[in-house]
Amino acid sequence: MILDAQNIEMSYGQLKVLHGVSLQVEEGQTFAIIGPNGAGKTTLFKVLTGERMASAGTVSFRGQDVSKLPAFKRARLGFGRTFQVARIFTELDLLTNVVIPIEARIRASGKSPGHWWSWEPSREVRAEAEDILERLGFPRQRWEDEAQYLSHGDRKRLEFCVALATRPGILMLDEPTAGMSPSDRREMTRFLARFKAETGITIVMTEHDMDLIFELADRLMVLNYGEVIAVGEPAAVRDDPMVREVYLGKGGQHA
Amino acid sequence: MKLAARLSLAVLLVAFLLAPFLVHPGLVFIAGFAMIQIVFALSWNLLFSYAGLVSFGHAAFFGIGAYVSAVALRYGWHINFLLIPPISAVLGAAAAFLVAIVVLRRANGIQFSVLTLALSQLVVVLIGYSEYLGHDEGISAIPRPVINLGIATLDLNNPLASYYFVIVIGLIAIALIWLVVHGPIGRTMQAVRIDPERAAFVGIDVWRLRVVAFTLSGGFAALAGSLLAPWAQIVHPDYVNWLASAQPLFATLLGGAGFFWGPVVGVLGLAWLNYAMRTFVGLSEIMIGASLLVVVLLAPQGILGALRDAVRRRRGKVAGEHR
Repeated sequence: MILDAQNIEMSYGQLKVLHGVSLQVEEGQTFAIIGPNGAGKTTLFKVLTGERMASAGTVSFRGQDVSKLPAFKRARLGFGRTFQVARIFTELDLLTNVVIPIEARIRASGKSPGHWWSWEPSREVRAEAEDILERLGFPRQRWEDEAQYLSHGDRKRLEFCVALATRPGILMLDEPTAGMSPSDRREMTRFLARFKAETGITIVMTEHDMDLIFELADRLMVLNYGEVIAVGEPAAVRDDPMVREVYLGKGGQHA
Repeated sequence: MKLAARLSLAVLLVAFLLAPFLVHPGLVFIAGFAMIQIVFALSWNLLFSYAGLVSFGHAAFFGIGAYVSAVALRYGWHINFLLIPPISAVLGAAAAFLVAIVVLRRANGIQFSVLTLALSQLVVVLIGYSEYLGHDEGISAIPRPVINLGIATLDLNNPLASYYFVIVIGLIAIALIWLVVHGPIGRTMQAVRIDPERAAFVGIDVWRLRVVAFTLSGGFAALAGSLLAPWAQIVHPDYVNWLASAQPLFATLLGGAGFFWGPVVGVLGLAWLNYAMRTFVGLSEIMIGASLLVVVLLAPQGILGALRDAVRRRRGKVAGEHR
């Protein structure tokens, strides 16, 4: 088991957002979390990645309790993440965006990413960054472009490059298709499917797009008012009467 | 654009190097003083434009260097003066490190800035209590050192020697700051400034990086300060107070924040303004303030920002005509 969360509780002041949520993710699995707005998906995500500390409960990564570790330490252990709205280093060029996490990873492993006085990244770092950009479809002539001029879809792709440069053991994707056009969504779905097949990486994601979930997810968890109401194979979860009720209302006609 | 920038830098460098042979001693004094201010402003901008932290009390670190070097000369410490700038830098960095590990634990936004201001004013008050540091009057009539270089001696009582001493140490400091911000540390600092959360999620220890940035910045500010005593021969609490802390901020905003060379342009602009307005006794502050206001209103990105936009517009126009 790569990720194991037990009885996560979370409150913002008086408001209790998560009521003892547990989840287990196996190595290589794609685990999707869905739920109506306000169900606690984002909060759960923040607790898992270390952006927020849970009020109660534990998070373990590869058998190690990481509940008290801040985000940057979890990132060093192997948590890679993307955000609903892609977050990249906007004012820097594409190559530098990828060089930064590679250098951070090398530094965290106790080695030096290069002399402090060298104004170019070391040859190894640069080669790795170029390889990642190439693999994710950024041609050489765009490497010097400033990231802030990228389109929405390209930003998401660059954010993937940034996340992958840390060589994560688990990828945490917060709504990978948020705000995308239908064609961009299909492209993202294809990209994720291919990426998963190539690398066999473990993925945990929140998502609204059901097509993407049924295409990719091995397991699906449904949150409602901070509680797990169903978890299992996507097809089985879809047919769960309680899930149908939450999504469609009692006696829903639009299924 | 790159070429034009490099040419301007080269011209500026030559102007600094040849100043004693081209202009009268009054202007040479201003040039040396500007070099000290440039290093100080660059140390501040390392923090602001690269690490994204705003210090309102940076003159305290400048003051550490200024007073260390003033005391060493005034009381005749038996230290080769060549060691004073590096010693000042280490002491300034140590002080900045202590401030950073305490203050950055809790704050990094406006609270951080205000706390740096409060701490620097505390330094001013402490200096005022100290007989050794000359109370509010400061230390004046500081003798210039004779530096033993092993094979030769450098007598800073010679105006030319003292000018080149300031210029050479200043250029070394500028080169070091340039290398720091363009190397892996600078890249990491930029990542933290642009998006600290994103930076944390790629494994960057944001707090530690900010401590490192503040420490380096304090060190370079103190290094700049250490050049003041042998050059101006007077060190005064006015170089430590909040107004002194505002100078690098003015210079950076005037020259262009986000540009490495912005503070250099800003310091030279301010120096020129000061010089041009020197005869308007009593009015000069108002006129300098008004000029700054005009620049900030017309060019919110500073002089370099306005130049960059002008070049881009021109290029855009040319490209448009081709269509």
